[in-house]
Amino acid sequence: MGLVLALGGLFLWGMQRNPRELPSVLAKERRPAPDFTLPLLPPYRQAWGETLRLADHLGKRPIVLNFWASWCYPACYEEAPVLEAVWRRYRDRVLFLGVNTQDKEAEALRFVAQFGLTFPSVFDPRGRVGVDYGMYGVPETFFIDQEGRVLARHAGAIDQATLEKYLKEAMP
Amino acid sequence: MRVWVLLLALFLPALAQEGPPPDLSPEVFAIARELRCPVCQGESAAESNAGVAVEMRRLIAEMLQEGKTEAEIKAFFVDRYGEWILYEPPRQGLTLWVWLLPLAGLLLLGAGLFAYFRPRRTLPPELLEEAERRLKEPPA
Repeated sequence: MGLVLALGGLFLWGMQRNPRELPSVLAKERRPAPDFTLPLLPPYRQAWGETLRLADHLGKRPIVLNFWASWCYPACYEEAPVLEAVWRRYRDRVLFLGVNTQDKEAEALRFVAQFGLTFPSVFDPRGRVGVDYGMYGVPETFFIDQEGRVLARHAGAIDQATLEKYLKEAMP
Repeated sequence: MRVWVLLLALFLPALAQEGPPPDLSPEVFAIARELRCPVCQGESAAESNAGVAVEMRRLIAEMLQEGKTEAEIKAFFVDRYGEWILYEPPRQGLTLWVWLLPLAGLLLLGAGLFAYFRPRRTLPPELLEEAERRLKEPPA
């Protein structure tokens, strides 16, 4: 009887856990954000240069690192307008950076144009950076604080309330 | 003729599946088989064709080429994903219990079965005599 209750309790506890709250080694230990150098997608080269090195931007202001892909439907399509809107509001205090993951450049550019994304995105066709961040699958968003440490990870499409909640945590 | 076509149809898929894809060595798949594919449900990084799994295999191949050992390669993934990425949880710390609990369960089951099937002890002779006497008594 006690065993049945214990198993039932375990089951209920398991059902109530949020699968979006996947454990992130980086966020749990507040590790420094893994560095990378990647080419920018062509529309952003004029403003940001040919390639972007993350380390050049760490430690200045918080960074929102968003992993996305044009084939990630519908989640990436749901969050793209939210990211763009929040970026426009906070762009003087926070850097939004997209990492286009395992995508084809032409299709990535179509996605960028479809949502008129003005925050820079780098191009990572192999998906190497995702592994360094312990990424499960796109979309995933990492919040990096002003000291360059990973504060939190959100898996799946992000909504405006969640995004702003993490931004408030990341901003001093 | 028809038999040949039928045989061909039966064996062609088997031929197509023989051996791992030629671009990566079997060692890569041996290591990938012990690592979880992060986006999949119950698939290892060797079986899945998900983007992350493909990249994991590519990284394993690169690290093998650099002369890294299997333990070093696994440590690389554990460092990024945590011990969750290993298909066999380490036999220490919190995950030790997943190795011990089945054993404990088996022991408990064995003890239960033994207690159930154990030959019962016979009643002491004086009680047996008493029971026999009462059986022979006419009902009141």
